[in-house]
Amino acid sequence: MIITYEDIIIRTLTRVLAPFLQIYALYVLAHGHYSPGGGFQGGVMLGASMILMVIAFGLDTTLKRLSEKADTILFVVGLLLYSGVGVLCLALGGNYLDYGKLAEILPVTIAKARSLGILFIETGVALGVMGIMVSLFYDISTGGLPPAREGR
Amino acid sequence: MEVTVLIQATDEAFRIIEESKNRALEVLNTSVRFTADAKLLEEKKIQAIFKGAERTKAEVTSFAATFALLFFPFWLPLSGFFDLFHLGIGVGCCALVAYISHDLLFVNVRVGDMRTIVKRFFAYIPWLIYQIIIANFHVARLVLSPKMPINPKIIKFKVKLDSDISLVTFANSITLTPGTITVDIKEGEYYVHALDEAVAYDLLFGGKMEDRVAHVYMEAEHVYVQDVLDVARIYGALR
Repeated sequence: MIITYEDIIIRTLTRVLAPFLQIYALYVLAHGHYSPGGGFQGGVMLGASMILMVIAFGLDTTLKRLSEKADTILFVVGLLLYSGVGVLCLALGGNYLDYGKLAEILPVTIAKARSLGILFIETGVALGVMGIMVSLFYDISTGGLPPAREGR
Repeated sequence: MEVTVLIQATDEAFRIIEESKNRALEVLNTSVRFTADAKLLEEKKIQAIFKGAERTKAEVTSFAATFALLFFPFWLPLSGFFDLFHLGIGVGCCALVAYISHDLLFVNVRVGDMRTIVKRFFAYIPWLIYQIIIANFHVARLVLSPKMPINPKIIKFKVKLDSDISLVTFANSITLTPGTITVDIKEGEYYVHALDEAVAYDLLFGGKMEDRVAHVYMEAEHVYVQDVLDVARIYGALR
């Protein structure tokens, strides 16, 4: 269980840092095919920014920002994006996750289609990793009980 | 006989007229009340619309400020690609994060003040670095002298700053200066660990750093020499 502690330094710095953490996470995600980083790392950073908010502002405030339902939808969408791109390549006559085949439906060259396909599945991975991380943290900090049963 | 009937009929007629008058009055009253209610409701609605518009306007302003002043300039040097595709991704990501968390940054800040605060903040940094260098020499002397005349203690004191961000800036300035560390802020009181009294006196009880921080964030209750000088310059320009 997380006990909310009124620490003005941590709260204010979280206020300032968390948005930049999210921007940096999205940068790492979007430039994963040029520089170190990628879906997993970006997703972990996004999740970490949410966990930082739980630590600084408490669980209730953070749940108002990203409810457990929305979180679940996020990682399900991530999984769907990943497997959807894979199955789409399969349907276009290639192997699973054979991004080159995406060139048939996108107006780009084969090489560009591979790069785009990687970006798509990395977005899926990032959403999945972030959702699962935040979901795990919510579960740990409520002791696995739904919030209603604790009288909140 | 006829007279009695006539009188009865007249009475009846008067009664009916009276009744109808009463009813008409009632209807009139009800309609007046309804009109008043409707007017009140309408006024409330208009007020709600205005309030909502104001809030929306504030939200849009903070969204735009967060996006244009902070996130996109932060994204560009990170990315390093300036083709349309990457700029598009950048705009999308920055807009997304600005939408999610525009209420975290820029709380209780008037837009007009922002420029002054940023300017004064950057002017404050060199002074802080100078203070850090001075304190470095002092702490080095303490530590290197054979007797090591340190006298560690935790000092509790009140400050006159009031906004969150100025309290945090002051606390982190104290922590950055060698020899002193902010342990906690509780209800406007600082708990500072100091290596010896001289460090603490220089930093805290001279009140120089606190005054500077208050100057940076334009804390309203205090007038500082620098403020007076600024005003004098503006006054001169006006004349």
